Amino acid sequence: MNAHDEERMKQFLKQALPPMGDAEPGHDQWPAMRQRLAARPTAVPWFDWALAGGLAVFALAFPASIPVFLYYL
Amino acid sequence: MNTHPYLRAFLAGILVPTLVMPLMLIGFIVLRLWLQVSVPIERGMVFPMALVPALWGIWNVLWIGSHARTHLPIGLHGALLPLLLMPGGAAITSCLGILALGSHDAIWFQTLHIPYALILPMFMVALAAYYLVWKYVVGFLNHTLGIA
Repeated sequence: MNAHDEERMKQFLKQALPPMGDAEPGHDQWPAMRQRLAARPTAVPWFDWALAGGLAVFALAFPASIPVFLYYL
Repeated sequence: MNTHPYLRAFLAGILVPTLVMPLMLIGFIVLRLWLQVSVPIERGMVFPMALVPALWGIWNVLWIGSHARTHLPIGLHGALLPLLLMPGGAAITSCLGILALGSHDAIWFQTLHIPYALILPMFMVALAAYYLVWKYVVGFLNHTLGIA
């Protein structure tokens, strides 16, 4: 492959592969990631606690229903 | 990461029932092989072990597909699934001879007697359980997989 062929090959490759443009993000992503990692999990609403408590009470009151639940759910 | 969201939704949906399956298998082995309980457990295993995980996956795919239009919270969407699962499961288990309807109670596996008065509360409990599991577990999985 002579110099002329190499030059043509470069041209072909440049045509086939478009320029990447600005591949870097516009700003530092790490602070946002740290903020996300440090964010406190959202609190569970009282309604969900009440439902979970109701489920536990029902399971204790009617243990025979547990296998049926496990089977269907 | 926006590729194949429905595939990821299906995988997130089937995770919970798939994790429950080994527990059911252990229960089956203990009851049938160790305690020699003579009830037709294996006849009814197809419903929880094959149909339920697939339905969870499809239900999650439906939520991902419809959420942009309906804006239905995932907990409420999950709570609707027992409306499909429990009657369907009851029909299948009745056909397989696992569920028998007596005069005062429903009988599962010829052993578990559940009075009819308890069926509606059980159904409500199932709705609540599904609401919580879908809201906190499936919702977490969807968030982790980048689809919600």
